[in-house]
Amino acid sequence: MNPQSQTAMPSYTLNCRMNQEAAALERLCQVVRVRGFRISRMSMEAAEDHLDIALTLSGSRPIGMLRSQLEKLHSVVDVALQEQAAVRSVSA
Amino acid sequence: MNGAQHILEAFHRHNINTVFGYPGGCIMPLYDALVDDVGVEHVLCRHEQACALAADGYARASGEIGVCIATSGPGATNLITGVANAYMDSIPMLVITGQVATSMIGTDAFQETDILGMTLGIVKHSYLVDDAEALPAIIEEAIQLAQSGRPGPVWIDIPKDVLLTAVATAAPATAPAPDAHCPDITRALAMLRSARRPLLYSGGGVSLAQAEDSFRAFAETSGLPGVVTLKGIGNAGKHNPHNLGMLGMHGSRAANKAVEECDLLFVVGARLDDRATGKLDGFAPNAKMIHIDADAAEINKLREADLALRGDLNAILVAFIAALESESLAIADWQKQCQTWHTTGGFKAADNEEPMAPITGPAFIRQLSRTAPDDTVIACDVGQHQMWVAQHYEFDHPRRHLTSGGLGTMGFGLPAAIGAQFADRNSTVINVTGDGSFMMNAQELATIRRYKLPLKLIILDNQCLGMVRQQQELFYNNRESHINLDDNPDFVAMARAFDIPALHIDRTDQIRRGIETILAYDGPMLLHVAISREENVWPIVKPGASNREMIDETKRTSTANKENVA
Repeated sequence: MNPQSQTAMPSYTLNCRMNQEAAALERLCQVVRVRGFRISRMSMEAAEDHLDIALTLSGSRPIGMLRSQLEKLHSVVDVALQEQAAVRSVSA
Repeated sequence: MNGAQHILEAFHRHNINTVFGYPGGCIMPLYDALVDDVGVEHVLCRHEQACALAADGYARASGEIGVCIATSGPGATNLITGVANAYMDSIPMLVITGQVATSMIGTDAFQETDILGMTLGIVKHSYLVDDAEALPAIIEEAIQLAQSGRPGPVWIDIPKDVLLTAVATAAPATAPAPDAHCPDITRALAMLRSARRPLLYSGGGVSLAQAEDSFRAFAETSGLPGVVTLKGIGNAGKHNPHNLGMLGMHGSRAANKAVEECDLLFVVGARLDDRATGKLDGFAPNAKMIHIDADAAEINKLREADLALRGDLNAILVAFIAALESESLAIADWQKQCQTWHTTGGFKAADNEEPMAPITGPAFIRQLSRTAPDDTVIACDVGQHQMWVAQHYEFDHPRRHLTSGGLGTMGFGLPAAIGAQFADRNSTVINVTGDGSFMMNAQELATIRRYKLPLKLIILDNQCLGMVRQQQELFYNNRESHINLDDNPDFVAMARAFDIPALHIDRTDQIRRGIETILAYDGPMLLHVAISREENVWPIVKPGASNREMIDETKRTSTANKENVA
């Protein structure tokens, strides 16, 4: 399956809090890519000991699958799905 | 105490007494500390990949954490395949690499690689230690993390200057293990009681959770017919009458038929891998599914579970045993049906009575299974021989079957067998390999000689990459492409060059004596077994097809080639 070849894919916003550790952001982005999602917008704020990251992403696979994979990352403190963003968008 | 000495002190504290490694520039402070430390046995393999695979084999056989060590740059990159192998099969492993000094990181220094970045996708977690004072806590956390929950490899990359810096911080106290979590099983029990054709489907998660005893007790108490994945082989033991063996691409007709017909799939510690399920649309089409696993991310990943129980497998299985102890499930007809399928569609290999007949892989493995002691550990490589072992060797315990399930790493078997032999110096350890796989880590013959390991090596030599040849024959119109290995070296002479005695056999009447000879020999020995180039593993499901579309030898027609493989 190539989830990024779909013409219409659901879009989501995830808010993640991660510990400030080496490659924290890379780990997050890698899991998103490997699990079949594409990031369309991303913002990050760094505090003393943690990072707050907001991701807008799209993909045809269930978002719950990505969420549970992100929650497995040791650096991830919390993952929250922003409900109003679960809308369909025509291009990704 | 410097950083390097602190690492060894942590090993002592965690009873880590065997590590597999290869020295080099940036890791030299740790090797210097090893000179004074007699409590840790360092096993020098001859390639870093073998260090990682030996640590993997050690962990699989012992149930303890495996440790491998390498230097920066090529040392670290050579570890990657072995670490990926451990990641795919959830093996607890601690990986320690040297790195260039902190001031040199990012300057393209000699033997500098961004190993942390390269390996993000194959580790449970990883660290780059840029502060010596952080090292004690990182080591402690890494050892615990590698073994907790769903185990996996944890990588610590340590710059040379950190290894040399005096560490003032005391080692942190080991945190107590969290209580075993057992969810409510009431609904699952109701589903189990109302099912008429329930099937137990178990995988490698059983031994990862060290739940072998409770699994076996549950299987016996419930009487559920069962199938196993490649990594679940041995879960049910040798004598469970309801065990149908391995399912999937090279599973038995009986196992795949039972999955197709069941009305409840009771999944314990398995991740529904594509090699086991075949095309998901056709997998257990009539069944509800209860999925029991330690990892929440495996629940609903490939197939939605009707009921998920996430937690400690041991605790969950014990709860089921307690609930079912005083009752019998009404599944006698189903048990009988499964036994009939097992009789007619189990794995079979005709014992050829003709003494001069060529040796077949299945017949050889069956004889090996009959002859080897019960506590024998078999470390396989990858290919046809691996499937013949899975089909025809009767394992009494999952830790006695070491196989590269997820990654399918050719070259796994020999170093994994070395690791298993270090895990138990007194057990019989046999590496069953093919001629292709053997050559992937053949340098480890030197490790066998150095440590005088009494390993037994069996090469099933068909002079080709048999599994690839088989799929080219069946699914690519017999267009053989780069599978020919008929210029293999003389394996008997090769073993002897490492002071390992070796025998060659090629006739059926030599099988038993060959096996008995290597097992009786007090030391390492290699048995070179010539088998037919044309022999295939049966049955087989075409990659991407449903398990109901099994092809076996009697249906070996050009129909297999009708559709090309995607």
